[in-house]
Amino acid sequence: MAHGKSKAALDHAKEHHKKQNTAASEALLVDVYRARIQALLEQNLSREAKALIDLVQERYPAARARLEGIGTAVAARAGSLDDWIRPLNDPQVSPEQREAIEQVVRKEVCDLAALAACPVLPPEHPLRQAASALDRAFTMVTSGPVTEDAIRLPEISRRSPLAPWKLLVRAIAACYRGDGGACREQLDAIPGESAPARLIPAMRAMLGIKSPIALTAAATALVQQVSGDPAALRRALESLDRALAADQERAVVAAVRTVVQECRQTAPEQLTRLRQHITVRCAVANLDKDEIIRAMGGPPREDAYFYRLFARAMEQSGELENIAISCAAWDQFRQAAVREGWFPANGVEAATLYLHMAEQARQLPVEILRDLKHGKMKLSREERYFISPEELYQRACALDPHTEAFSQWMDWARQNSASQAERVAAAWHKICPGDLEPILHLMKQAANRKAFPSALQYLGRAEQIDGVHPEVRQARLRLTAGAILRHLQQKKPPLAAEKLATLAALPQTQQGDRPAFLAALRFLVSAVGGDTQRAEAAHAEVERLLGHRMAAQLLIFGAAVASKQRALEKLEEPGSLSTADRAAIPTSLARVTALFQDLNCGDCQISWPYIEEAAKQLRGSSSSLDAGQLQVLAEAGLNAKHFDLAYTASAAGLERGGATEARFLLLRARALPQLQFERRALCTAAAAHMARQHRDMDLLEQAVALLRGPLESADLVLTAEEAEEVLRKEKAEPASLGRNAPGPDYGAMLRKKLCDCPDCRRERGESVEPFEDMDLDEILASTPLPPDMPKEIAQILLEETKRAVERGESLDSLMARLFGPEARSGSKKRRRK
Amino acid sequence: MDALEILGLPVNASEEEIRAAYLRKVKEHPPERAPEEFERIRDAYAALRDPRRRMRHMLLAADPGAPLVSLLEAQAPQRRFTGPGPWLEVLKGK
Repeated sequence: MAHGKSKAALDHAKEHHKKQNTAASEALLVDVYRARIQALLEQNLSREAKALIDLVQERYPAARARLEGIGTAVAARAGSLDDWIRPLNDPQVSPEQREAIEQVVRKEVCDLAALAACPVLPPEHPLRQAASALDRAFTMVTSGPVTEDAIRLPEISRRSPLAPWKLLVRAIAACYRGDGGACREQLDAIPGESAPARLIPAMRAMLGIKSPIALTAAATALVQQVSGDPAALRRALESLDRALAADQERAVVAAVRTVVQECRQTAPEQLTRLRQHITVRCAVANLDKDEIIRAMGGPPREDAYFYRLFARAMEQSGELENIAISCAAWDQFRQAAVREGWFPANGVEAATLYLHMAEQARQLPVEILRDLKHGKMKLSREERYFISPEELYQRACALDPHTEAFSQWMDWARQNSASQAERVAAAWHKICPGDLEPILHLMKQAANRKAFPSALQYLGRAEQIDGVHPEVRQARLRLTAGAILRHLQQKKPPLAAEKLATLAALPQTQQGDRPAFLAALRFLVSAVGGDTQRAEAAHAEVERLLGHRMAAQLLIFGAAVASKQRALEKLEEPGSLSTADRAAIPTSLARVTALFQDLNCGDCQISWPYIEEAAKQLRGSSSSLDAGQLQVLAEAGLNAKHFDLAYTASAAGLERGGATEARFLLLRARALPQLQFERRALCTAAAAHMARQHRDMDLLEQAVALLRGPLESADLVLTAEEAEEVLRKEKAEPASLGRNAPGPDYGAMLRKKLCDCPDCRRERGESVEPFEDMDLDEILASTPLPPDMPKEIAQILLEETKRAVERGESLDSLMARLFGPEARSGSKKRRRK
Repeated sequence: MDALEILGLPVNASEEEIRAAYLRKVKEHPPERAPEEFERIRDAYAALRDPRRRMRHMLLAADPGAPLVSLLEAQAPQRRFTGPGPWLEVLKGK
């Protein structure tokens, strides 16, 4: 008994009493019977407990008094209430006896209907009233949805022995309502020893909470009846997932049938969603749509949920052809969603959807767009709006004009054309006048058109919004300098002088070589205005500030050319210059070019003989120039299309070594002749690799743009050793660009990296199109043809198949196109064959 | 899982409904008792508060490539009303 083994204890006690047959052995046996009955009650075996207590009372009448307590519990559990509840009708009942009876009610009463109808208590007795109300509420809450009022049960006080039932009713209501938290809360409040607590494990199982104790058979049955058993449906779905992954059409169709059948039985409310998901998955797998619909027992519901799922599937397929389909599906989603009340037609949500569609549509290749606009379909503007980024951005910004939307539109427009970008910037500025980005764009465009008054107006607005923005701060200096040059072009020296005074007042004009540029402008203003004396003084000032006559002459010449006043400064032929002046040309040219770049005054136009002389002098000695000046010279050579100067500067830069090697390698790539395509690509790829190592994002961006653009070698990536080899070989090359020089030997690397034959591409893990390395004539010669098929027809079929595969057309579609719809029947395996 | 599903909301839920659902769920799953669930609820609410973010989230919520079996987990179980009989069977200990 101490170990809870009441059945074994009872066997031993029976054996003992049989042998002894004394009053003591009988008392011991009755005690063990009592423990056994209690154990049966704890196991909810009340019928067995009742039978056992009846047997004991019959066999051992003397022990009736000892069994009274447990007898009441058994009677209460079995619904035989009358005898033990009768004392509650007596007003003289002691508090102890009342408490004992109520305790039994709390612990044992399961049949509320029997208690509500108990004839030994008057109908108005609070216990009968409470039992009646709870019985009604319990039946209602387990039979259908209930309101809060229906389960409020104010007649049951917290002190009532039936109070745990009130908690149970509320827990059941919360469970059906799907409010797991509230359900748990009510269950936690039910006292563990009360009768309703017997439902706690089953209800926890319904909430998905695992219990360490196994459920009874009745509890398991209840959970299954309430929650359903999705195990069979789960297995069917797993089987369908496997069939889809293996691309087995027959297995998919069979699995779809099973899934739908199971779903109808177990979870009919999920059938609609399942059909939608199955349709989309099968569409992605390119399976026969009609067959799948037959297997599903009907088509999917085409609502907003379905179109969203389908649009996302097309987006995620990664095929460009599917983007147009996804955009069309998004449009159908929009219409369905508005119809179904997901969101209003003209709100922020619709605008966000348009932006998403635009992001997709801008990936569409031009050829597909052209086909949709002008091909067989000839869609009208309204019909094809969902593939037109312009139209989509316009709609998005009209519905929800905000910075991010305009910024995306602007980004797209910039990639298309400057005029489109300017239109977008103007629209943006009109709607969001406080945004800086469109103002800066409009300002730059105006400056590019030499419309400096407009540019300065935009600058004024930009300064009001963010005066410390680096672009805004630089713009005042650059635009004023540009305006002066423009006034000089227009021969308006008073206006130029006015702007010059403004420029001189800017504190940033005092930095670096800028005072020299200011003096050069002063020279030009004075010279154009006819003030020779001031012009001469300004000329001398430029020479003083730059510290060399040659630099001063080049700066004034460059500024004169920029203001179309070339006659004001003439350069001597380099041949007539002294050796010292000729030697100073590279440094002077670098300083003046850097100054023009700094003030954004365009390229410094220097006469061709001076550029040639710079390259010649640089070949002799480059020690007077720093790495920055060499870069400026190389850029100047590239801009002037004097590739020898660019090459020579890059050679001098590479010779210096250090962190700037990558930049000079890229300049080398740009300086090489077009014909040396592979060498240019390798130098650029090596520069990209080094830029990655040095985290030089600006250089990396330039190198990648060159590889993706003119060099068409986006996939070319070098290892550290290969980049090192390129650098070493380029450094070993002569300092000047020989027209017929073959350059370094990159043969092995080229074969490994750039060879375009299918075998080499396959070895590098790149994709090789079907038929690409196949000889169609060879295939035709080695394929046995049907006896009645002429070779010409076979050739046409083979070529048509090749084109279809290259287009990505499905075999079903090809067969149907070539042989008619009946060719689609038959197994997938046979069709493939 | 979709933020709307986490908060138990329909797709066209208003801002007030979203806030009310969030507060209800947080009450159900306080951080000290269910920290992971609370995190999910908070993330879902953050995604749904801003209408633009909510819409973007809603557009991308659909996962067409997810295993079909995951649909069973995503959907709240539909409980059936059985009447008092099976419940009383458990109470009576059968």
